[in-house]
Amino acid sequence: MKNRLRVLRAERGWSQADLAGRLEVSRQSVNAIETGKYDPSLPLAFKIARLFGAPIEQIFSQD
Amino acid sequence: MSAAKAAYRRYLWRFFPTMLAYVVLVLGVSWLFDNRQAPDGPIGYALAILPALPIIGVIVIMGLYVVEEKDEFMRMRHVMALLIGMGLMLSVTVAWGFLEIYTHVPPLSAFWIFPGFCVAWGFASGVLAMAYR
Repeated sequence: MKNRLRVLRAERGWSQADLAGRLEVSRQSVNAIETGKYDPSLPLAFKIARLFGAPIEQIFSQD
Repeated sequence: MSAAKAAYRRYLWRFFPTMLAYVVLVLGVSWLFDNRQAPDGPIGYALAILPALPIIGVIVIMGLYVVEEKDEFMRMRHVMALLIGMGLMLSVTVAWGFLEIYTHVPPLSAFWIFPGFCVAWGFASGVLAMAYR
C-alpha cells in the first residue's frame, strides 16, 4: 500500500512523534507506516483518516 | 506517548522481579543440592523444579505483553522476534539432535534450550529494531 501520510503530516508541521502522540501509537509505528513497511489495521487506518479529516482512500491507495 | 508505552513498562515491571526471583531460587536450590541438604524423593524433585517456575512465569509475561500491547505495530514486532527466536532455537536443537544420533558430539542438556532461545530472541529483537527504526 502507498500512503500520503508524510505529506499530510508535513502540511500540518507535525513531527513523526507529534503524529504518534495524536494516534496513541509509537513513533516507530508512524515511521513504519510512512515508509510502507507496515500497513495499519482497519481501526488504525480509520483513526488516521479521522485525524486528517479525509476518507481512507484519499490517504491510502493500492500499489 | 506514555499511553503508548504503558504495556511495555508493565512488561518490564513484571520481568525484572521475576528474574530476581529466579536468581534467588537458583542460588538457594544450588546451595541445598551442593551441600547435600536437599532431601531425596518427591520433595527433592519439587525443590529441583523450583527455579523453573519463574522461567515459566517469564514465558507467561512475554505472552501477556502480546495481549496487552495496544500498539499493533510494536505487537507485530514483538511476535516476529519471538517467532524468529523460537525458529532459530528449534533449528539449532533439531540439528544438534541429529548430530547426537549420528556422530559423537556431546549431548546438549535441555537446560540450555531456554537461555539459547533468549539469546536468539534478543538477536532477533535487535535486528527488527534496526530494520524498523
